Amino acid sequence: MIEPLAWLVCVAALPLVIVFASHTRLHVERVRSLSVGCAVALVGVTVLVFAVPDLRAFEIPFDPGQSVLLGPSLFRVDAFSSMLVVLAAALWLLAVAVTPRTRLDRAGLRRAALATLTTMFTFATVSPALLVLSWAASLWLFLAALSAPANRHAQRVAAGYLGASTLLFAAGVVLVTRPDGRDGVGEQVGIWLLIAAALIRKGIFPFHAWVPEVFDRGRLGPALMFSAPQTGAYVTVVLIVPRASPEALRFVAILALVTACYGAALALYQRDARRSCGYLFVSQSALVMTGLECTSKGALLGSLVLWISSGLAFTGIARCILVLEARRGRLDLSRHHGGYEQMPLLATSFLVLGLACTGFPGTLGFIGEELLVDGAVEAFPIVGFFVIAAGALTGLAVLRMYFSLFCGRRGEAVHLPLRPREAISFGAVAVVLLASGIAPAPIVASRLAAAELILRSRAEGRRVSLVLDSRAVRASGPCDVYSSSRASERSWPAAVPPLAKRARPTTGAAPRRARAPTRSETPSCTATTARSPRIR
Amino acid sequence: MTTERTLLEIAVLVVIVTPAVLVATLGAPALLRRPLREAAVSRLTRAAMVIAFVAAAFALVVYFATRSTPQVLSYGTWFSFGTGGFSFDFLVDGLSLGFAALATGVCGVVAAFSGRYLHREPGYNRYFVLFAVFVTGIVLVALAGSIEVLFTGWELLGLSSALLVGFFHERRAPVVNALYVFAVYRVSDAAMLAAAVLLHHWAGSGSLALLFSGEGVPPSPLQLDQATLIAVLLIAAVAGKSALLPFSGWLPRAMEGPTPSSAVYYGALSIHAGCFLLLRAEPLLEHSLLARILAVLAGAATALYATFAARVQTDVKSALSYAALTQVGIIVVEIACGLTTLAFVHIVGHACFRLLQFLSAPNILHDLHELENALGGPVEAVEPHEASTSVRSRLYLLALERGFVDEAIDRLVVAPYYRVADQLDRLDRLLCGDRTTRGGPAATTPASTSVARDDEGRRGSPP
Repeated sequence: MIEPLAWLVCVAALPLVIVFASHTRLHVERVRSLSVGCAVALVGVTVLVFAVPDLRAFEIPFDPGQSVLLGPSLFRVDAFSSMLVVLAAALWLLAVAVTPRTRLDRAGLRRAALATLTTMFTFATVSPALLVLSWAASLWLFLAALSAPANRHAQRVAAGYLGASTLLFAAGVVLVTRPDGRDGVGEQVGIWLLIAAALIRKGIFPFHAWVPEVFDRGRLGPALMFSAPQTGAYVTVVLIVPRASPEALRFVAILALVTACYGAALALYQRDARRSCGYLFVSQSALVMTGLECTSKGALLGSLVLWISSGLAFTGIARCILVLEARRGRLDLSRHHGGYEQMPLLATSFLVLGLACTGFPGTLGFIGEELLVDGAVEAFPIVGFFVIAAGALTGLAVLRMYFSLFCGRRGEAVHLPLRPREAISFGAVAVVLLASGIAPAPIVASRLAAAELILRSRAEGRRVSLVLDSRAVRASGPCDVYSSSRASERSWPAAVPPLAKRARPTTGAAPRRARAPTRSETPSCTATTARSPRIR
Repeated sequence: MTTERTLLEIAVLVVIVTPAVLVATLGAPALLRRPLREAAVSRLTRAAMVIAFVAAAFALVVYFATRSTPQVLSYGTWFSFGTGGFSFDFLVDGLSLGFAALATGVCGVVAAFSGRYLHREPGYNRYFVLFAVFVTGIVLVALAGSIEVLFTGWELLGLSSALLVGFFHERRAPVVNALYVFAVYRVSDAAMLAAAVLLHHWAGSGSLALLFSGEGVPPSPLQLDQATLIAVLLIAAVAGKSALLPFSGWLPRAMEGPTPSSAVYYGALSIHAGCFLLLRAEPLLEHSLLARILAVLAGAATALYATFAARVQTDVKSALSYAALTQVGIIVVEIACGLTTLAFVHIVGHACFRLLQFLSAPNILHDLHELENALGGPVEAVEPHEASTSVRSRLYLLALERGFVDEAIDRLVVAPYYRVADQLDRLDRLLCGDRTTRGGPAATTPASTSVARDDEGRRGSPP
């Protein structure tokens, strides 16, 4: 059994080593090498937690005066977040491994480490107050990365949009966690403030304009570290989904569906690679959001798979663009730049990553998109087909980028081949996406457990311990849970028996929006005690 | 019975796995910058094609010799979810095994031809990797037992086709045309995916055996209107893949690829993949009058259109592609009329004949010179008709401009898209306080109003 505190210390220490190293006199390349080593170690540690079921669920409780704002536990890693921390670590590894030498500086490496730490911190907590803190900290880090004069415009835009979202988020958290505000107008207002904050942070229409602007005129690397883990989606799952009314979720899902098409359509239109990339992110991010709000098991599972898939694939694409920009300058998609012969691995990786974004068969994206489409059509018989349209447009945008960036006559520019570090990184991401697309069972099973947990938390209006959930999934086999009838899936609150029903027969089913159970009522199944998250 | 099923399972597995292994065998060393030598690539490809063909032929013989009934061979589950699952199911019957044998046989011929034809061509290895991807796709389409497997094969066909159209990627025209081809394929794929989702949604299963069994009226658990909608979506998918109207514009553009790939895609197999799917879905069509009418109209209009367009083409590959399209249109009409046996024989015969024509196309001048040498003088050219009527002129113009289909799509789809996208892009910039208009459509988008010309201003296909 892993000691939670030791795990947390390890997770925090690795990025902090880089923060410390960046202040020393070490050569920047040495700091980068150290970063790569730490990132590899972090990926290893997080994968270990994800891969071993007994290590997958733990929490560090917090109970001074039972503060609702701080939540029941400071840190918690469960079936839902165990894979997200792997994603965060992988994104850090990719960032430090492929950042071109021309863009490498100590401050950048330090910010990347701190951004990773913040993201890990976010994914490892359900405490509303800590989420507000991490939300603000990640924004501060991002804005600091845009402080150069050339990025001032992007900084202003990001500060405007994301500052507003942070304020809305903080206000929303205060309103929904007021002890006396339960089931009142204040809570409803708070939920809508949280929704608005998440929409802005995720770049959902009509709050999407900052994303392409920041990708275009800002710095792509920090933008990726900030956006790709999709902490907005995490907050949605933790704070919004358990509380929001079905109508609110449907509204958000429809907005997300429209955004998915909108982003893909405008990505196809752009002539600047970065801006196109920005719209591509808007589309991918919206697809993830769609499933989270669809409240059907299939869509939710698809969305969770897509979260991982698009996080890796999209970051890979954007990093490819950075690598190419380091060799060619800004990339104009109206030209054909050539260079396939010099960089076949990069070209092939780009294509595979792009195809994963479009949900091409054989990649992890296909699993996510197939599930998402199915669930979205079930939830929205007509608008659900927007997911298919978004996939088609994304595919076209990606192939257009591929043709522009790697095909054409070789120009006068010198074509530098990939460095081994870059080749290994891009090749590894492509292989991971292909391998997990061909053999998706572990990821699907993990996301299935997470989807079950989210649905159960919504049914009960709160998040529950993962320990029971993972036991249930293990007992019924990895995918048997889905053999339930479609009707039962549609009416998930009835289909998913509340935890209270199973674990607390004496107290009966906790009605939605009922009082938070006291600790004595909460099932205590393992060493990782399931405490009642008195968030509301 | 068990022995026969085991033999079929082994044979079908070999047919499917062989090209997939070939993709990995050829692709992996190339990515590691250690590509195999030409001779090795050619030998491996030919060997794989022979193995796949022998396995497909063996399965066909076993199937007919034991008088088997159609059966679904399941090779396990990929993953499962709410409304069913994704299983590796393959439907084995005379139609699927026949088409698989045809596909592997044709691919074997093309592989042997390509090995010599593309000798010392830059991208030799890339060609064969994409060719192997294509073979994987076509056998998946042929043997698919679930709509997800069918969709996987369908997507692989589309991707490999687009990448092979852009094979000579140092020139602009092939790349632009490849993007156009891919755009049409995406529409086709979207229709296919929509059909797959609806099938899952309504039938609770993606089994093609269930959908295309023809048992019950309408087939299996589907209502009549549901069956009609799925059939119409499948026809849309077929129209995209087989270049039926209004999607015919991509066909001449696709001739930018190497001749052997044009032969196997647009002469023999890929263009017939849509017909095969329609043939497979014929039990579904039987119960949907609307879908049948739609198929007849699309097929007949395409045949007429293509026969006119073929007569004015100035390069042999374009002429051949339109000639192939004429036959495809007729085959679609045959299927819609319920003449399935005739349609299948038509597919097989036409695929083989057109393959031969395409493969001999690069040799046509040489053949002509040989003929002239034998005759002892030049072959007399056919003089055009002197008396030109107004109707004939208009028909000529219509054929020359390929029915103005591209222009219509540009005007009705592409131009409005650009207008709207431009306005939205400006609005987004304005929201961020940017009043400049630095965006705008890229020149390589599929908005070009005619077949893209390459850098030298030539139109059509390379030799």
